[in-house]
Amino acid sequence: MSEQPGVSDEYRMASPWPLFVALGFALSEVGVFLGVLPVAVAGILLLGASVTGILRESGYVSDVWRVLAALGGVFALLGAGLVATQVPPGSLAIVETVAAPNGAVGRGLAVAIAGVMLVAAAATGRVVGTARL
Amino acid sequence: MVSAQLLLTALMGVLLVGVAAFLSRVEDWRSYTPAVGGGYGGTTEIGHAEKPSGLVRWLTTVDHKDIGLLYGTYAVVAFAVGGLMAFAIRVQLVVPSGLIAGKPYYNAILTSHGITMLFLFGTPIIAAFANYFVPLLLGADDMAFPRINAIAFWLLPPGAVLIWAGFFVPSFEPAQTAWTMYTPLSAEQPNPGVDLMLLGLHLTGVSATMGAINFIATIVTERDESVTWANLDIFSWTILTQSALILFAFPLLGSAIVMLLLDRNLATTFYAIGEGGGPILWQHLFWFFGHPEVYILVLPPMGIVSYILPKFAGRKLFGFKFVVYSTLAIGVLSFGVWAHHMFTTGIDPRLRASFMAVSLAIAIPSAVKTFNWITTMWNGRIRLTTPMLFCIGFVSNFIIGGVTGVFLASIPIDQVLHDTYYVVGHFHYIVMGAIGFAVFAGIYYWFPIFTGKMYQRTLGKAHFWLSMIGTNVTFFAMLFLGYLGMPRRYATYQFDGAIAPLNLVTLSHQAATLGAVLLLIGQVAFVWNLVNSWLEGPTVRDGDPWDLKETDQHGRDFQFHENRIERAIADGGDEGEAVTDGGTESDSEDAETESDTTAPEGE
Repeated sequence: MSEQPGVSDEYRMASPWPLFVALGFALSEVGVFLGVLPVAVAGILLLGASVTGILRESGYVSDVWRVLAALGGVFALLGAGLVATQVPPGSLAIVETVAAPNGAVGRGLAVAIAGVMLVAAAATGRVVGTARL
Repeated sequence: MVSAQLLLTALMGVLLVGVAAFLSRVEDWRSYTPAVGGGYGGTTEIGHAEKPSGLVRWLTTVDHKDIGLLYGTYAVVAFAVGGLMAFAIRVQLVVPSGLIAGKPYYNAILTSHGITMLFLFGTPIIAAFANYFVPLLLGADDMAFPRINAIAFWLLPPGAVLIWAGFFVPSFEPAQTAWTMYTPLSAEQPNPGVDLMLLGLHLTGVSATMGAINFIATIVTERDESVTWANLDIFSWTILTQSALILFAFPLLGSAIVMLLLDRNLATTFYAIGEGGGPILWQHLFWFFGHPEVYILVLPPMGIVSYILPKFAGRKLFGFKFVVYSTLAIGVLSFGVWAHHMFTTGIDPRLRASFMAVSLAIAIPSAVKTFNWITTMWNGRIRLTTPMLFCIGFVSNFIIGGVTGVFLASIPIDQVLHDTYYVVGHFHYIVMGAIGFAVFAGIYYWFPIFTGKMYQRTLGKAHFWLSMIGTNVTFFAMLFLGYLGMPRRYATYQFDGAIAPLNLVTLSHQAATLGAVLLLIGQVAFVWNLVNSWLEGPTVRDGDPWDLKETDQHGRDFQFHENRIERAIADGGDEGEAVTDGGTESDSEDAETESDTTAPEGE
């Protein structure tokens, strides 16, 4: 036993999720703040999926697809809200705003895209999935 | 540009697929557990019981002891990086014109040294001890939130990569803001390396906050029935206080950093000159975090010393209650002193006076602790083991660091010495001479528990003496440089001889560098001792390697160590072999359970 310091063999002590929650958080922060869309989207996908995974594993939730969709919805709303702040007041020039994104719009779009992708993944999982994990 | 985006997108896609593949593989080893139905029961390796093996074990662990070791390894690596940066600084300053680096690179190394030592070494090494020992000392199974504990650790490596990114990402430059990141300098440096460093710092702040919440929840709710507030050990008290400080200080740093990032990237004007709060707002926010940060870093090391020093003095800690009260008092007062870093910014003199009063008041609980440590040793049966030497070194250096701090708290003296090497010498007596020494004491004292091995004593003592002499030579020279008027943070010091005695300044810098050489040799001995003893040292078979039972001080930490050795022997000395035949699995489990429940309680 002394060959393996720190080993405690009394109960289960492993989970794959914390590493990816942390990695997802780090990537999304870097991606969003530096305005790098691929990193932001991938980071938020990883964060949303890992948070769902860790909640399921800890037994706080039973329906993973619903949680994933909810998280996706929150991100989509946050992103859309950020884009909305840049639409000129009194107009509905959403298309123009999105077509030529400034710093805030680009970032908002990244968050919103990731949110929509999470919702889509949840919907697909619900339809295709064989069982509630 | 488009192709770069495509490449990045592809990279991120590969990353996500890789993560999914890894997770599906990990599911395999998880599936054998009874909760999932034992689909893989036939091929289960019972030998590895509850943990995967190899690298996957370390990537997936949520065991507080494993996480403690991860924190410790991470912190020692960061200490090596930060230490080499410090050494580079000292080499640069051997001659007035600067020996090895241009000014921008010197500034970058200086910035990174500070941030590395405070955020990547200091806070994590304390978390290492706390993760490993707080649950053991409380009689808890694990931390209150083991998975959050793991998340908190895994935020740190990305944080370090981001903080150091400027040094190795092509086309980025490292940040040159100094660790205090004062605006407008930090807001106006266009280099994206600064953004990365701020993001990294933000991640380490989130990590510390998660850890703090976990420690508070653990200490409040997970104590064994026999552990009451009255007999809670001194180390856990300091971790509880430290966690409370983190809870109030670090989110503020996080917010201030986000505001700075917004100023830099999205044209907000939180710290812009003539707008909003102006540059001085940063100083207020930063130091409202920054000064409690000093106590976040020093309280747990004080707890380690208060815990270890009595063990080798053969006496109980003198005035235990007052050591606890002084810890709490320092915790509260630490939030009322931040503007003593700003005495020369032209703030209202009435405000300055009140901050001076509170700053001076902190000397009282600090002195209570110091006198209690000295009184604990008084007439004690002192055993000068390596951890004890480091504890005594701590007390000695803390007195010098503390007393120089009292002088700095006084407005007129601060106005003369502000931004000189006197300040640098003062706080290095605390961060290296005190915090560093307590960390070394903890590592040596608990080395048999961490590794199951014993360190090499002669090397340990060499480490102490080199560190003690090196610290005092280096940082006393800095105090002296401060009296000579040498400003801090300068890459060169080719003054006009009429302003300062250049020969004396040069000589003092050279003395400081000589001390740094001693420190470096000492730390090489330390790392060698750590690695070599871990790999090849003799296995500790004694449940009481420090002979603590003689003085009735065999605590829960070494009780755990003793139980572990006994269990290993009951299993035939190697738990892997004992269970591979499968037939004795349930028996051995019963035996373990029995030995757990009948094990005598700690203190």
